[in-house]
Amino acid sequence: MSTEDQTSTDVNLTRRKVLTGATGVVGAIGAGFMAVPFIGSWMPSERAKAAGAPVDADVSQLQPGQMLTVSWRGKPVWVVRRTPEMLKMLAENVTELRDPDSNESDQPDYAKNSFRSVNEEFLVVVGICTHLGCAPLYRPAVGSPDMQEGWKGGFFCPCHGSSFDLAGRVVKSVPAPINLEIPPYHFRTESVIRVGEDPVEGGVA
Amino acid sequence: MSNQTNESSSGKSSLLGWFDERYPVSSTWNKHVGEYYAPKNFNFWYFFGSLALIVLVNQIVTGIWLTMSYQPSNAEAFNSVEYIMRDVEWGWLLRYLHSTGASAFFIVIYLHMMRALLYGSYKKPRELVWVIGMLLFLVLMGEAFMGYLLPWGQMSFWGAQVIISLFGAIPVIGPDLALWIRGDFVISEVTLNRFFAIHVIAFPLLLVILVFMHLVALHHVGSNNPDGVEIKKLKDDKGIPLDGIRFHPYYSVKDAMGAVFFFILFALVLFYAPEGGGYFIEAPNFEPANPLKTPDHIVPVWYFTPFYAILRAVPDKFLGVVAMGAAVVILFALPWLDRCKVKSIRYRGNSYKVLLTILVISFFVLGFLGTQPSTPLYTKLAQIFTALYFMFFLVLPFTSANEKTKPVPERVT
Amino acid sequence: MKKVLWIASLLLLPLTMNVQAAGGYSIELESANNNIRDQESLKRGAVLFSNYCMACHSLKYMRYNRVARDLGWTDEEVIADMSHGLNSVTEYVMARMEDGVARAVLGSDAPDLSLMARLKGDDYIYTFLRAYHLDDKGEWDNKVLKGTAMPNVLEGIERHASPEEYATVARDITNFLAYAGEPSKVERLDLGWKVIAFLLVLLLLLYLLKREYWRDIKH
Repeated sequence: MSTEDQTSTDVNLTRRKVLTGATGVVGAIGAGFMAVPFIGSWMPSERAKAAGAPVDADVSQLQPGQMLTVSWRGKPVWVVRRTPEMLKMLAENVTELRDPDSNESDQPDYAKNSFRSVNEEFLVVVGICTHLGCAPLYRPAVGSPDMQEGWKGGFFCPCHGSSFDLAGRVVKSVPAPINLEIPPYHFRTESVIRVGEDPVEGGVA
Repeated sequence: MSNQTNESSSGKSSLLGWFDERYPVSSTWNKHVGEYYAPKNFNFWYFFGSLALIVLVNQIVTGIWLTMSYQPSNAEAFNSVEYIMRDVEWGWLLRYLHSTGASAFFIVIYLHMMRALLYGSYKKPRELVWVIGMLLFLVLMGEAFMGYLLPWGQMSFWGAQVIISLFGAIPVIGPDLALWIRGDFVISEVTLNRFFAIHVIAFPLLLVILVFMHLVALHHVGSNNPDGVEIKKLKDDKGIPLDGIRFHPYYSVKDAMGAVFFFILFALVLFYAPEGGGYFIEAPNFEPANPLKTPDHIVPVWYFTPFYAILRAVPDKFLGVVAMGAAVVILFALPWLDRCKVKSIRYRGNSYKVLLTILVISFFVLGFLGTQPSTPLYTKLAQIFTALYFMFFLVLPFTSANEKTKPVPERVT
Repeated sequence: MKKVLWIASLLLLPLTMNVQAAGGYSIELESANNNIRDQESLKRGAVLFSNYCMACHSLKYMRYNRVARDLGWTDEEVIADMSHGLNSVTEYVMARMEDGVARAVLGSDAPDLSLMARLKGDDYIYTFLRAYHLDDKGEWDNKVLKGTAMPNVLEGIERHASPEEYATVARDITNFLAYAGEPSKVERLDLGWKVIAFLLVLLLLLYLLKREYWRDIKH
């Protein structure tokens, strides 16, 4: 006779099943807890968060029509000081745009307006094409020499030819599906824009 | 197409049956787990095999995760360890799991080897199980040594410096060999990079392959047991060893229990003494590597100290290296040095018991001496215990040849 | 089972002995008795560190926002109290002196103190801060680290405080450096017993399960 003998009468199969089940459940919970540090460690580290902290852009020296770039979370963020002519153009070209009211694109609510900005003079936009992530070129002048005929000023993506107007809105029949992304930002003072942080309530909006 | 009816007749679920026709799922499971018959009298000492496997998995998984944030460069190695400890979410836990795991690995392995010495698990027909196990031990030592350089602290740097210099003691080729290992005139980023490569991929791969071979060899000859009785000699009419029980569920449940008990001890160290009192993580390693400043007292990590003490005990540089190497290599020969037919210490003569006791005491004393700065007294003691350590292996062939043993029972007790 | 526990305790025994005990300093180190859970002490230590140590010493692995979070300050408070409004919260706690100035003035670089407590131990720092004395020539020296290049920066406090008050100052700074050595330590200590409690439950279940299955085995 073998050493193992499961036919003996004192084996309580129910107890065995219950214990196996209980151990299995508790063990699975333990394995779940064990997975937490391994999964959690893939979240942005403190260093990444520090590097992704809000950045300030000083626009006091920025002349009308100029653009400056700041790096926020490793992404280029453009600040364009728009001239009155540019702003006027933005109101006129809506028929050529795919989504002039920015219903599908990413922007904070306070920048969901026809100028896509808090202060219509300053456009703050993430400089990454919404098509496949290239960096579009800034071509503000109407009829820029290296642009196609009828260029009205805006951004042009050299990778696949998408173009956007000076509010970051995508024109019709180009590969890019939606308007450029507007990051959260607010004016800390009249000439300092803090990118990456929503307006503080009661602060300067 | 549809006349493969033997699937249902064998009672298997059709999915498993589908796989079994294409891949030996059930038969492998049965051979190594479900119908692997192990002696029913395993005691405490038999937990350490499965524990070693668990620690290996821990080291590999946490190691992979540490590699994601560690940077093997002169400028960033030390910083990146602190980055893991402070900035990576849960990084401190992953790092301590790995550093505590390294020491746990050696504790488990030393006890696992002790079991073999107690119950003669290295003897015929298990010589290759032992030899593959010794190869594992050797690779593990290399793995641990190279891993210890990676934090790039003072002890990492100078420990590696000292050990690599040992190779310089070899006549003729020594200096060039040391230079070749370092790839530079001192330990440098070049050394760090190659140690990193070997630590994270080459040796772990080798360890996994050797563990696989170790298990294949073991399951081919069957497990030994505290009585040193071959259970395969007596089988019932179905060919099942009378004293054998299936690994699953009996030992899988028992080993799981042992594993959780081990986890508790492991957690106590991990959460409440991760530096292990300065033995697991040495305090000087909290200072970045500095080639211009030697720490007052260079000590290897505790698991190397018995061999380090042997090195220092020998007054000649080259012979010291030889003695240290021999202290490890001689273990390979154990199955042939021990000529006693009786396996378990339960039925062996007093000569073996005395010799083994001396070996264990020598190992502990040498381990302690290796952590201490050398003084004339300690050097003398190290020499005495080095002699005693080697005495075990040199005397054993003579005493074991005609040892007064007790009668070994037919079946396990 | 008794044997198991015996061997287990034997294995854990060396951990209770501290290698650092054999440090070999010229005087016996005093016990710092600091408590990294005492946030008030840590805050006082942080401010003292900022006022008396940070001219030369950095904590290059600590960011202000981490200090704030762990010590119970807001981001604004830590910048006001530790940096006099000069830094942003995501910056590292760096010495105010330019690199190399310490070498030129004092003859030695001021080491970064992020890991000093782990390198030397809390008691060392505590004793060191209390071990300044005037030597035969009437110059400041330190009993723990003879001939140290570090001036007795806390002299002003020591002169105007009672010995108890000065001990608290030294303890607070020590405490802050102990915290900086391993900022996740409190988290580690708080997590440990929960993990162990969970494992004890699992161990009990596995013990019962093992006993249940092993009733099959006839001895």
